[in-house]
Amino acid sequence: MVKRGVKGKELRLLSDEGVEAIHNAALDVLRETGIDCYSEKILEVFEEGGADVSDKRVRIPEYLIDEATKKAPSKILFCGRDPKNDILLEGSRIYYGFGGTPTPLILDHRTDEFRRPTKKDMIETTLVGDALPNMDFIMTNAGVFDVPYEVEYLHELDVLFNYTEKPILYSAPGSYLARKYLEMGIAVAGGLKELQRRPFITLYSEPASPLMLTESQENIIEFAKANIPIAIGPMPLSGGTAPGTLAGSSVIGNAETLAGIILAELVNPHAPVIYGGWGLTMDPRSGICAYGSPEFAIGANTITAQMARFYNLPSYGFGGCADGKLPGPQSGAEVMMNALVAGQSGVNLIHDCGYLAGGMVGSTEQAVIVDDVVGMAKRIVQGVRVDDDHLAVDVIKEVGPGGNFMTHKHTRDHVDEFLLPELFDRNSFGTWQSRGAKETRTIAKERVEEILKEHKPEPLGQEIREKLSKVIKEGKKELITKQKEAEG
Amino acid sequence: MTRKEEVFERVEKSILDFDGDKAVEVAKEAINSGVEPVEVIERGVRKALETVGKKYETGELFIIHLAAAGEAANRAINEVLKPEIEKKGEEIHFTGKVLIGTVAGDIHEIGKTIVSAMLLASGFEVTDLGKDVPIETFVREVKEQNPDILGMSALLSTTIPVQKDVIEALQKEGLRDKVKVMVGGAPVTQEWAEEIGADAYGVDAVDAMKKARKLVGA
Repeated sequence: MVKRGVKGKELRLLSDEGVEAIHNAALDVLRETGIDCYSEKILEVFEEGGADVSDKRVRIPEYLIDEATKKAPSKILFCGRDPKNDILLEGSRIYYGFGGTPTPLILDHRTDEFRRPTKKDMIETTLVGDALPNMDFIMTNAGVFDVPYEVEYLHELDVLFNYTEKPILYSAPGSYLARKYLEMGIAVAGGLKELQRRPFITLYSEPASPLMLTESQENIIEFAKANIPIAIGPMPLSGGTAPGTLAGSSVIGNAETLAGIILAELVNPHAPVIYGGWGLTMDPRSGICAYGSPEFAIGANTITAQMARFYNLPSYGFGGCADGKLPGPQSGAEVMMNALVAGQSGVNLIHDCGYLAGGMVGSTEQAVIVDDVVGMAKRIVQGVRVDDDHLAVDVIKEVGPGGNFMTHKHTRDHVDEFLLPELFDRNSFGTWQSRGAKETRTIAKERVEEILKEHKPEPLGQEIREKLSKVIKEGKKELITKQKEAEG
Repeated sequence: MTRKEEVFERVEKSILDFDGDKAVEVAKEAINSGVEPVEVIERGVRKALETVGKKYETGELFIIHLAAAGEAANRAINEVLKPEIEKKGEEIHFTGKVLIGTVAGDIHEIGKTIVSAMLLASGFEVTDLGKDVPIETFVREVKEQNPDILGMSALLSTTIPVQKDVIEALQKEGLRDKVKVMVGGAPVTQEWAEEIGADAYGVDAVDAMKKARKLVGA
């Protein structure tokens, strides 16, 4: 009962020569300049795998790149805890994801205040993501910051495992947290075999730009060993941590992603990886990562999807994210642009829906608005069906000049052809007025409250919940001991 | 225009052209022609940075220009003017002296680099320790350089606790009262700054510059 996503449109902004040029440029950079690895474990893997390692610099020959991209599978079944949420990453099928990595701030839908999110906030945002019909996989629009920093990720994972039945994509930097992430996944799945058969978790690992892998990327080693999917996506910023051009930024993003993929395939040939070779943008005026810019939309999606198709790998992109600080005209326009570009590009996993302020703010209110936008994007990408039934010549002849089609059975039979928004108001003007002339943000806030009141995902069994709590408890102890040792 | 003014103008222009090589070259020429290095800084370098700062405020120039002008200015100062001034046993008057770095375990330094540029443009003397800076290095440099402000950035929630460790290490060494501590980075908040006993938190580069000025009473 896999949810087969709408097939995206494979928008092409790069010619075949352009794709090859970005590939060749990355090969050149990886071979000549190489990458710096701030991790003994990672250096060891590269050295044993045949890369040229001196000190922390790793230069990677072309054959390793070719082998790795060939070994990695082209399709991944990314499951939900509930099989009805399974998604199949293949070809140009598109799936949108609620949120991204933890945001340092949340826009409180009850008070309009920007503040530090707590575990309770993350539970609420996760419930909203789980309930929204167009969100196919779950990350976050909050973060758990009312716990010590060392155990933040463990608490965030705990929330995700408990409050969503959709596929979970999350970060867990470093080998320790990655092992804990796996341990929690195994507890919920009922064993490693079960988790491998139905992987309902995927790791997000983010190499550092320009051209660096750190101890954070040791998580790739752990997940590759366990044979659980890994999405790799660095965030090179044009003009900051990458050249000030979209093509240059894409070369850096491609090189870093390939380095991560090679690491995974050297650890475990055929390890499932998802390609996020993003060429992203820094606003040259302010220095922020410009999530809402048109260049970001095509660098993160169109170029990424084209490169992923070249390597025959599933792909990872961005959509539904904004630089606007509040839900409103700017953020609305930005999310429609990038959600639609992502869909048109046919990038498989489209994350960050609900992000505001260039990823600094998560918002459930914005996320429900974005869910409607994503619905529209999916609808547009679906396109138009043209066959005898849809051309409806017989019906046209039957009704004839001057008639109407409102009462015809054909009209009722095809009412599904039109997407009806969950949130956006398409009432007549009079109805809108008589129902209180509500502003979109008000409706969005009401929808959030409605979801929080009504939506109850299937809870995990008592025993599993206890296992998860135990991981957190042990984690707290171990992380603090580790720190003490480091200090001592 | 006097010959001296011409020299200042050339120094100023090299920085406004973001040309570090030229800035070093004209600074050397200035010294060779007998102009006081302190004057070169005040009437050439600083004037250029003020112009760049103003143009940034009005949106005419961007953060990338601010960073490039700052780098050119720093090269002229550090490679030519400062050694000359020290030879004479004189001192340069800066808005304040800042030591800045990204904490150990973290190599995400672009935000810190932007803050450095902003501080340079605002007349601070900035020593950038770079990324993945060990706790001991922060402590040692504070001891040796005696800055007015120590700035620390962290992007990851796994590395942000290091900001606290550095402050504790400064306390242990009896250095905490000798320096103001500023923290920044995406996961950092005012509450965190207060919790770990930092003196200020900059939400972004402009805010960091304003807070730094306040800390040194500028």
